[in-house]
Amino acid sequence: MNVPLIELEAVSFTYPDGPTAVIDVTLRIEPGETVVIIGQNGSGKSTLVRHLNGLLRPGSGRVLLDGHDIHSVHVAALAARVGLAFQNPDRQLFAGRVASEVGFGPRNLGVRGAELEARVAAALEDVGLAAEAETNPYDLGLSRRKLLALASVLAMRTPVLVLDEPTTGQDARGVARVRAVVASAAQEGRTVIAISHDMRFAAECFGRVVVMRAGKVALDGSPAAIFAQAAWPELRAAYLEPPLPAVVGAGLGLGSTPTAAALVAALPGPAGEGRGRPPGRAGNE
Amino acid sequence: MAALEVVAAFALPGWVGPLIVLAAVLTTAAAARRLRGLATISLAASPLVGSILLVNLFLLPGAADPIARLGPIGPTWSGLWFGLQTVARLMAFSLAIGLVYLTTAVDDLLADLARRGVGRRAIFVVGAAVQMVPSTIGRAGEIVDAQRSRGMDTEGPIWRRARGVLPLAGPVVFGALTEVEERTMALEARAFSAPGRQTLLRVPADPASHRVTRWAAILAIAVIVLARASGRLG
Ligand SMILES: Nc1ncnc2c1ncn2[C@@H]1O[C@H](COP(=O)(O)OP(=O)(O)O)[C@@H](O)[C@H]1O
Ligand SMILES: [Mg+2]
Repeated sequence: MNVPLIELEAVSFTYPDGPTAVIDVTLRIEPGETVVIIGQNGSGKSTLVRHLNGLLRPGSGRVLLDGHDIHSVHVAALAARVGLAFQNPDRQLFAGRVASEVGFGPRNLGVRGAELEARVAAALEDVGLAAEAETNPYDLGLSRRKLLALASVLAMRTPVLVLDEPTTGQDARGVARVRAVVASAAQEGRTVIAISHDMRFAAECFGRVVVMRAGKVALDGSPAAIFAQAAWPELRAAYLEPPLPAVVGAGLGLGSTPTAAALVAALPGPAGEGRGRPPGRAGNE
Repeated sequence: MAALEVVAAFALPGWVGPLIVLAAVLTTAAAARRLRGLATISLAASPLVGSILLVNLFLLPGAADPIARLGPIGPTWSGLWFGLQTVARLMAFSLAIGLVYLTTAVDDLLADLARRGVGRRAIFVVGAAVQMVPSTIGRAGEIVDAQRSRGMDTEGPIWRRARGVLPLAGPVVFGALTEVEERTMALEARAFSAPGRQTLLRVPADPASHRVTRWAAILAIAVIVLARASGRLG
């Protein structure tokens, strides 16, 4: 699997008769990186990721995969490299069977026969829908329809996976599935780019956080940097709240603790002893 | 007016209905300076229109008058003819409703209907139908995007594009069904909680069983219309 380097160079996009939704965005995403894009509704997140597979073409600026400008590459060709799962499953599900729905993408990529069946089965397994292969998609609840839409993109086995609000509207079990999907894709070395409003998901599952505000990238860095107290004013200006462990950690003067695990590790006392403390001190006692 | 046009587009046989309606809609639109809006609607409908033409052109059941021979399947004259006719109907239908939407504030329309003594049931139906237009246009765009992201070819050779009918029409139908249901509830909630208007009609009792039946009927009509439009009932 050749995982491409993704580069956006000064990308701007204006909808016809609409707002300028993306303004001068420059991003470089290394192969295998896991990136979460957060930001208020309407800040341009979905518009931005639609440039990654050519659904939208920049009004100005360039999008490059492995150094090649994709402006003249068809979406159908880009779909083999960049899988994009949309937020609303009901705007893509059409087949009468869950398995055919999942097979649609890989079939479009020319996959047939045993390989197709194996991919469909594996994708359904990944999202926990293996038992529903023969079910009608519209007999599934929203949470599982969403997982089905996710599976239908997973089955394409693209080196880049882009997920638009995968956890929105999910129940706890669905969120756990999405987390597992992100983790295993990252494990396999694929690039994962997700949009989310779930700060816990963002802080725990991704190596890099990009904050969008009014069409621009406002912040870009590791979860520890983005959720550190110093960045809160900028976060709040984008109408975002830092995750709870970050607030608690800052309140206790423990530095940046974006996740519960980081917070526990930084706590003094038995729970944190020997984990968050410098080893030298433990040795003195 | 629009209702008449819509009925005419489907009820009158052959070419007469759709063409009369299209002419009427375009004249009205020109007078109201709304041709641009109609152009947008036509553009939004173009993937569906293209699909209808292609499917009928190549796959009309029983058509045996080939335009050219291209192996096992080939374009047929009757397929082309039927496809064009279906498209004319579809456009007459959607442009008529679209025009109402473009030229009328929905609230005004509903209030006006109520003042003329039109029953609340009828008002619900009109309201739901008219309000479906803009959302359907927006939804259609996103459906196309979603399927293209899954590798559906809309830029390649024609024979590959023709595969897109079901993946595009399916979610449009399902989405319309769920949305009509939601709008119905919202409309009913608003209409029933509105202060009593001066009207000669008594408010009809509206038990749940009637509502279910009524909406089932409307949904059935929607399905038939869209299935026909997508060429599947031929
Ligand atoms: N198809 C469209 N046509 C016109 N404007 C749009 C369209 N889609 C989104 N917008 C507008 O572009 C801006 C950014 O939208 P979007 O990228 O969807 O934001 P986000 O995903 O961050 O919520 C918003 O102001 C939105 O209203
Ligand atoms: Mg969005």
